[in-house]
Amino acid sequence: MTGRSSAVPGLAVALLGAVGIAYQIVLMRMLSIGQWHHFAYMVISVAMLGFGASGALLALFRGRLAGRERTLLWWGALALSTALPASYALSQQVPFEAFELATQPVQMLHLFTLYLILSAPFFLVSTCMTCAFLLAPRSVGALYAWNMAGSGAGALLAVGLLYVAAPSDWPVLGALTGMSAAAWLLLGFDGRAVPVRRPVAGCLVLAPALALLLAAWTPLRLSQYKGLSYVLDFPDAEIVARRFSPLSTVTAVRSGLIRETPGEITAYPMSELGPLPEQIGLFFDAGSVSPIHRFEGDFGAFAFLDYVTGTVAYRLVEAPDTLVIGPGGGTDVWAALYHGARHVTAVEVDPAAAGLVASRFSDFAGGLYQRPDVTLVVAEGRGYLQSHERHYDLIQVPLFGSFTAAASGVHALNESYLYTVEAFRLFYRRLTPGGVFVVTSWLKSPPRDAIKVFATAAEALRREGIDEPGKHLVMIRSLNSATLVVSKAVLTDADVAAVRVFCQARSFDPCYFPGILEEETNRHIELSEGAVYYDAAQALVSDQAEDFYRNYLFYVRPATDARPYFFRFFKWTSLPRLVRGMGVAWAPFVEWGYVALVATILQAGIASAVFILAPLLVLGRAPAARGLKRWVVLYFGLLGLAYMFLEIVFMQRFMLFLAYPVYSVAVVLTSFLFFSGLGSCAAGRLTGHAARNVAVAVAGIAAVAAVYLAVLGPVFDALAGFPDAAKIALSVVGLGPLAFCMGIPFPLGLQAATNRSDALLPWAWGINGCASVLGATLATVSSVHLGFPAVVMLALTCYGLAALAIRPMVRRERPGFGAGANAAVS
Amino acid sequence: MPQHSHVRGAGILAACLLGTWLVWNARAEDTPGFNEARTRMVELDIARTGWAREGVKDERVLKAMRAVLRHEFVPESDRGEAYADRPLPIGHGQTISQPYIVAYMTEMLQLKPEHTVLEIGTGSGYQAAVLAEIVAKVYSIEIVKPLAERAAETLKKQGYETVEVKHGDGYFGWPEHAPFDAIIVTAAASHIPPPLVEQLKPGGRMAIPVGPPLQTQNLILVEKLEDGALRRRSVMPVRFVPLTRSKAEAE
Repeated sequence: MTGRSSAVPGLAVALLGAVGIAYQIVLMRMLSIGQWHHFAYMVISVAMLGFGASGALLALFRGRLAGRERTLLWWGALALSTALPASYALSQQVPFEAFELATQPVQMLHLFTLYLILSAPFFLVSTCMTCAFLLAPRSVGALYAWNMAGSGAGALLAVGLLYVAAPSDWPVLGALTGMSAAAWLLLGFDGRAVPVRRPVAGCLVLAPALALLLAAWTPLRLSQYKGLSYVLDFPDAEIVARRFSPLSTVTAVRSGLIRETPGEITAYPMSELGPLPEQIGLFFDAGSVSPIHRFEGDFGAFAFLDYVTGTVAYRLVEAPDTLVIGPGGGTDVWAALYHGARHVTAVEVDPAAAGLVASRFSDFAGGLYQRPDVTLVVAEGRGYLQSHERHYDLIQVPLFGSFTAAASGVHALNESYLYTVEAFRLFYRRLTPGGVFVVTSWLKSPPRDAIKVFATAAEALRREGIDEPGKHLVMIRSLNSATLVVSKAVLTDADVAAVRVFCQARSFDPCYFPGILEEETNRHIELSEGAVYYDAAQALVSDQAEDFYRNYLFYVRPATDARPYFFRFFKWTSLPRLVRGMGVAWAPFVEWGYVALVATILQAGIASAVFILAPLLVLGRAPAARGLKRWVVLYFGLLGLAYMFLEIVFMQRFMLFLAYPVYSVAVVLTSFLFFSGLGSCAAGRLTGHAARNVAVAVAGIAAVAAVYLAVLGPVFDALAGFPDAAKIALSVVGLGPLAFCMGIPFPLGLQAATNRSDALLPWAWGINGCASVLGATLATVSSVHLGFPAVVMLALTCYGLAALAIRPMVRRERPGFGAGANAAVS
Repeated sequence: MPQHSHVRGAGILAACLLGTWLVWNARAEDTPGFNEARTRMVELDIARTGWAREGVKDERVLKAMRAVLRHEFVPESDRGEAYADRPLPIGHGQTISQPYIVAYMTEMLQLKPEHTVLEIGTGSGYQAAVLAEIVAKVYSIEIVKPLAERAAETLKKQGYETVEVKHGDGYFGWPEHAPFDAIIVTAAASHIPPPLVEQLKPGGRMAIPVGPPLQTQNLILVEKLEDGALRRRSVMPVRFVPLTRSKAEAE
């Protein structure tokens, strides 16, 4: 068990690499289900904390470690195979409730605890990896290749596993534990002495097994605010099916008390027309719900669908050829059929939901997707429209999320490429000459969603060259929903009359149509604020739009593909007004998702300070070259920020192309890891002045990033129709040049710093770790506020400054320090 | 009946102080202490207009609030806090609403002595008792059977003979006794149940919190006009303060 020359089995390194990536992906899905999607980015930050803390500690104790790498590696791998299931089981005991972050200070502590528990496996992965590289300095290249191959395989495996089980189910956890245990066993049985006696080793095998057993018994803890938690409390609730996809876990629940309607149906004469059809609720990631309706041959059962705002569209088109995006359980498809649609194309992004409606509950749903007048397509809606030239009389854009989720601002950080100006332009272009597209949104108080939908439509029409967008728009509202209709042709007097009649009969209020009078609005559903929707619409179709955006209480500027955060409404400048209007205790509830984001950034800052910076400050030797430390801190801090900025931005950007967030995360993580690794290896072979080499690499990064910014949009459009596998392959390769260049500055800086003083090494590692932890969370807030191009520019600025900061570090060149250790971080 | 909490800023402090004082008091004294606490509650927490909240003015409602023995409707262990202006757990994952909300919703209905009222969500029976102090007849539906039974018993014991409680799904109302002059819903609904609207008399009023469960809801006043047209108005935000509900409790 001694000797730096001892070999390390490549397969073990590959397995460890696979576990590192796969666990990140699985964890993202777990947090999306137990909490909400935007905690997904927290996972990157959690992983960075583990990597950073491990790097800082190993660098600090390098001297004492020498000669014991093999033992540490062996124990590390054992600890990993135990810690992986154990950290899951333990994390589920933390009573974290994101919703209560604003009101209960203890939740910050819970979030912090979660951060720590979840980062433990990443700490161990990184520790093992670094030991492996230290053990075999001469075969770093080969080990590196194993690591990369493992990481790629890990990403694939994680995505594959998510098709067969929920992320918290034992097959997934078991696979991860099994892989780390296999790595550990490989390390123990490679012909060299095992650092413990055989009986002890035998007992140790039990540790991962026991931990896994514990994990398998621990159900995923659902936030009590999630729709599924609530429904499962109904006395007759019963889970009747579960389906998995990397997009979501779909849980089908049967209960007589599930009565989901796409909006208010107050005016529906139920005693005359009958009760709602029986429903099975499909819960997506335990949150938003979409019902499957029982159909027994009588369309009359769907009469209630004529009493929601969304069906105003059917007053404007007759027997339309309809496209329903995101049908979920099929409500919008039934609405179309009820209203005499000639044909319905249902484009469902989630194969799990499609499968449930089309096969498992096909009888219950009356064979909805077997009907000759309905075609089911499993694809992402926007990509499907982009790649098919077909035109429709009516396009139904789905209600985003559930009422539950919408009301709380929980989606504030979700990328939603269906609600951008570019998406609306596409919908418009795919309409027949007399066609309309319809968007229904849930309403919040104070008003914001429907106003942003209206603004997006007005902006899209303007960009389509229409001078008077108001002539193409109708918006009506009920108590809890608003429907916007965008007409390809100028609306006629007959259209307007039909809308008026519909609103009167259903006790709805019009918000806007051509020629609307203020006294027609705010009659049936009185808003204390007055005719807000009417006023907003009037401003948005006129040349006052800009003033309106500036002065409105919320951020209602349309979302674009560069900033696809439709659900971001929070404005810092409005905070005083919000607090005045709603009271201190209420204000956080207005934009809850935002509170969570700020909390995550705070946590990231605290965690990285406590676990990376503090050990450095307490244990670190003062470097010989004192003045140099600040440049090292600056250089590696900037690199960490810049790297994470670009990585996260591309994850967010590629969601449009790859449709599934998990695909995007897996592809970007894998590609960045692989090509940055290649870049790091290449950096080790570079000759010449380090500062110049860094400058060249940074120039390369800038050039490639600029090209991406310019061409990604059109390229995504052009390739939208490609099959998933091709898209994934193209994405991995496409990101290569950028990631390659991004891998170069780190090892060059490390070499430059250690050439001057070994005591600088822990600082380089630690600061880079801290910056990465923070960068991952800061990148999200920056994208939301500034948009992707600005975040890319920010990253490039950081790289530019880093290229300057390395200059004082480079004076005497001394060859030697390998690039290996970088592998674990980049 | 879910737990509501109307946010009322500085009022919270007063309520907490009062609550603490009451715990002390209730242990020390019996009925006279409760009487006094009730009077204070009506004066300080219900009738008074505070920061960001409107005081309840309707004398009939205030009288009813003074008359109903709230401490008889809360679990024995929480009696000391019966007159603090906050919701209290009553088991089965349900709560007795904050007194201010009870009074405010009752006032929204503009009740007259000859009215017949339908209540959805009996819970402890406290709201039904308040209604019964004002109107001729109260029908109340509760979905949790043990709660319905216990509430019926408590109401009977307290002498509220004009209240009829049944166990059932409130969504469909109580068509046998319809139409009603007023309907009060004390559980959050994702939409206004159409059967309830149908069972409302023209000219009738309904108070219902609409919104996602466990989060912020809007307290909605629904008015059915004489011509059958419906007018809805959001009168104030209400919020559930979720209890840590165990599955066993919620059944």
